[in-house]
Amino acid sequence: MSERSALLSGIGIARSYGATPALRGVDLAVGAGEIVAVTGPSGCGKSTLLHCLAGILRTDSGTVTYRDQDIGLWSEAARSRLRRTEFGVLFQFGQLVPELTAVENVALPLLLAGSGRREARQVAAEWLDRLGVGELAEQRPGAMSGGQQQRCATARALVTQPRVLFADEPTGALDALTGEQVLGEIVRVVREQGTSVVLITHEASVAAYADREIVLRDGVLDPTGLGLGVGR
Amino acid sequence: MRPATLARLAVAGNRTDTLRTILTALSALLATVAMLAAATVLTITGWAERYTNPLLIEPGLRPGVSATLILVALPVLALAGQCIRLGAPARDRRLAAIRLAGATPRESVLIATAETAVASLLGSVAGLVAYLVARKVIDRPALPTDILPPAPVIVLLVLLVPVLAAAAGAVLMRQVIVTPLGVERRIRTRGPRPWPGLLIAAGIVLFAVPTRLPEHINLSKNWVYAFLGSGVMLTMVGIVLGTGWISSTAGRLLRRYGRGPATLLAGQRLITDPWNGSRTMAALLAAVIAGAVALAYRELLATEFRYYDIYNAMMGSTDGGGMGAAEAPEFYYGAIRLVVVAVSLASVVAAAGVLIALAESIVARRRTYAALTAAGVPRRTLSAAVAWQTLTPLIPALVLALAAGDALVRLIDSEIPVGYEFRDCVAAGYGGCEAPRHPEMAQILHVPIPWGSLALLGGGALLAVLVAVGAGLLVLRASTDLDELRAG
Repeated sequence: MSERSALLSGIGIARSYGATPALRGVDLAVGAGEIVAVTGPSGCGKSTLLHCLAGILRTDSGTVTYRDQDIGLWSEAARSRLRRTEFGVLFQFGQLVPELTAVENVALPLLLAGSGRREARQVAAEWLDRLGVGELAEQRPGAMSGGQQQRCATARALVTQPRVLFADEPTGALDALTGEQVLGEIVRVVREQGTSVVLITHEASVAAYADREIVLRDGVLDPTGLGLGVGR
Repeated sequence: MRPATLARLAVAGNRTDTLRTILTALSALLATVAMLAAATVLTITGWAERYTNPLLIEPGLRPGVSATLILVALPVLALAGQCIRLGAPARDRRLAAIRLAGATPRESVLIATAETAVASLLGSVAGLVAYLVARKVIDRPALPTDILPPAPVIVLLVLLVPVLAAAAGAVLMRQVIVTPLGVERRIRTRGPRPWPGLLIAAGIVLFAVPTRLPEHINLSKNWVYAFLGSGVMLTMVGIVLGTGWISSTAGRLLRRYGRGPATLLAGQRLITDPWNGSRTMAALLAAVIAGAVALAYRELLATEFRYYDIYNAMMGSTDGGGMGAAEAPEFYYGAIRLVVVAVSLASVVAAAGVLIALAESIVARRRTYAALTAAGVPRRTLSAAVAWQTLTPLIPALVLALAAGDALVRLIDSEIPVGYEFRDCVAAGYGGCEAPRHPEMAQILHVPIPWGSLALLGGGALLAVLVAVGAGLLVLRASTDLDELRAG
């Protein structure tokens, strides 16, 4: 992926936690509609890279550019607005508000963006239907299985029709079969919409859904590129 | 974000959130009623002989009655402030999830403060309704149910509590950074400094201004009240903030000289969060200072009554007449008793606040406590750590509060000379002066320090906190359940 055609790119991204470096100059570019898997062993900086690219964390050095804009220069509020309009974020667990129903959770980004309640709920209900959990619209997350929660979380991440979806081990808390079903639905929907995806995983079966794989080791890109086997 | 969205997100919550909302509303209700009552008393004009209560009849006594009612309102307001942190961990997780969905930092603080403001407003409105109903139900001769404060004052008081509660919530949230990945608290790298001592000194100086001015400088009554009031307030603020430094210092001493894991845990907690004592003990310390002022003032009054008795005896007025208020001391003692009752009520409310704060801090660390228990730390060690952590800064802070309250009153008068003016008059050679009738009675009356009463006040406050700690330790037992390790 050349940087000229990249929708999202990171150049020389470095980030430390105290004296411990997590990323030490990582370059990455993601094109429109492309699914990129980031793999590597535990503690290699995969999640930190995703957080930096999504604007959740600021980099210590290097730049993160989205549509030719350096989002590292943006305020926290501006990056929050970017996440609710242009980006979708999907974690392993914990992103649903336990006190809100499924439909309210999915409608949340729309409501935060200023949509009316009725309109937001209608769109949210459509997304829940699309991901096969429409009948759970009025259930709270505590009453759902892990797979159902992850489908709801996916609906919430995609409800604003983001250009980029950041998925950090999205099926890590699910059993193999449910994980595959959920991931299949995620990929189906993002392909339909032309959404780019940055997919963090350490599972070969998950990485296999990506168009391209990059491998991180000790906070840097592995030059050998010997990852989990995408494209091989 | 639309107001409807804000309201929905603000009221979303679990049972603890519901409890927090109820307690916040309840404390707002009580504070509003107390403040409306204070405003009603201040609305009475002139001699009001239509009431049977002498404290309401005399114009000079009514500001004191109002101040006493406000004194009750203050710890209730502080309780409302402490309720804001109840169930905070679950709310923090919810806010982080909302941030992940795209809420800005400002919006997340707005959601948290809106919840407090809405609960307080409901409580305030309920307080107004309770006040209006009570006016209809209660008889006039005893209480001023025939008058109302001006409408703008009522509106102001009803809005005051929600605004203060929302502001307190926003201030408490300023240490909390809600990120989409969770909630972090800002860690101070430097411990508190003893600068609140300057506030205490400034408070004492302000209080001393009207009492130590040369006689030829006359301050108006309003200026005198302003100096005395601001002096007391600054002293209170100084002591409350000074508790941060006391906690930090006590923590360092505990860590250095303490024996065993309980003192080590308590010492480190005090160093890590030295302002916890200021937050949780603020209302109690304020009540203790007010109580110490009242008790010391009672001693001053008693000394003045002795002065009047001696003076009247010297002048030959032994038939119950004569100078001063010595003929009706019970009335003044009754007023002081009213203040002491208010302080006692305030202390009980403040102790409830301590319990809430303690329970919240234990619940917030329940996984750590459960992990320590799982690792073999006995529960009694954790209980001892919580007790050390609460009581170590409290005891010196209480002593300081009692000393400051007494010192303020001693600035008004610490000794009253009897008979000396006549002796001086003769020595100056003024022809019109009489010789002292009873020169053997010339003496200086020292205003005693009410050691017993002060010890009782301090002991009562300590006991209230001990009860709160005891109740809080029940929460600790539940929080060290190993199931907590599985909680999300």
